[in-house]
Amino acid sequence: MKKIKISAVLSTAILCFIFWLLITGQIISIFRGRPSTQVLIAGVLVSAAVGFFSGRFFIHKKAFHLLGARFIYLLQYCFYIFPQELWKANVDVALRALSKDLPVNPGIVKVPSNLRTDYGQAMLADSITLTPGTITMDIVEEEGQVYYYIHWINVETEDPVEAGEMIKGTLEAWSGRIWE
Amino acid sequence: MKMAELCFFAICFVVMALCLLIRFILGPSVADRAVAADSIDILSDMALILFALYSGRSVFLDIALITALLGFIGSTIVARYLEGRL
Amino acid sequence: MRFIIDILVAFSVFFAFAGMVGMIRMPDAFCRMQSSTNIATFGVLGVIVGGILYAAFYLHDGGMTIKIALLGIFYIITNPIASHAIARGAYKHGVRPEKKMVVDKYGEDLVEEE
Repeated sequence: MKKIKISAVLSTAILCFIFWLLITGQIISIFRGRPSTQVLIAGVLVSAAVGFFSGRFFIHKKAFHLLGARFIYLLQYCFYIFPQELWKANVDVALRALSKDLPVNPGIVKVPSNLRTDYGQAMLADSITLTPGTITMDIVEEEGQVYYYIHWINVETEDPVEAGEMIKGTLEAWSGRIWE
Repeated sequence: MKMAELCFFAICFVVMALCLLIRFILGPSVADRAVAADSIDILSDMALILFALYSGRSVFLDIALITALLGFIGSTIVARYLEGRL
Repeated sequence: MRFIIDILVAFSVFFAFAGMVGMIRMPDAFCRMQSSTNIATFGVLGVIVGGILYAAFYLHDGGMTIKIALLGIFYIITNPIASHAIARGAYKHGVRPEKKMVVDKYGEDLVEEE
């Protein structure tokens, strides 16, 4: 069995406890100044147990990586940069689906990426999948270079670098800025 | 004040979920059926949220949360089964 | 305020409708997945934002506001994972589009590995 890291257990437990506070409605009671002690103690016990058993699956390297300026970048990414891409792609796919002769041109392209960390790759893959029109099929690593296989609804070019520019846009730079 | 049009929009979502049953019945492959089931889950959740707002009872939100969780777990398990690793 | 909420929810209904039409009309399984992403992003987001505004300013119910926001975050986090898993599982299971795809790098590389 692998050695259990204290920071991994602690960060997972804190996240679970915040989720518990939100979902039981206790956070409003705390602001009003009369929280229920029983619910809080049950939450601490349950989130400590969950953190102890499942912390090692979620956190591999640094547990408190996001605190500080990166958190500001993350908020900016979530509320400003990503919605723009989402808006463009959504309108595009909706018009495609509603137009008369259904102009689709599907294919799977292979795109290189410069991201190093696992979290950065996962976040870029999630962003690409969440954008309508592109789905990440797989991530492979060949000779030190990371490649994404992406299903694209309208293949305009087969050249890997050019297709990467068109699909990823500004997302990759922001993902690198947050996670590396 | 109650906004009656929320109920109307909820009915729109339910009708769209019923139309997606066409894809669920026709769908030639398992993947089509899994995706259609996932989308039906999401649309019925939206109807539940709107009806919870209309009636002001938060029980429907709890039901929507549970349905969302079960839908995610279900489609992930279907995907794992298709890949042959279950 | 009532007008803003109506606009948001109607916007959401429009995108969900476009996604539904796409899911019924698209020619093969992977293109249908793209349309289902359309339902799961803007079809959800309008209802979530409108619901937060309604619960916070009309119902004055903090618990409902937080629960709706949690539902939105949950959808945004889990949907790409499920979508990616279904796409990869379907490809490895042998689902192929009837019309030939323009370029299929993944299939070529899978054949090379075997």
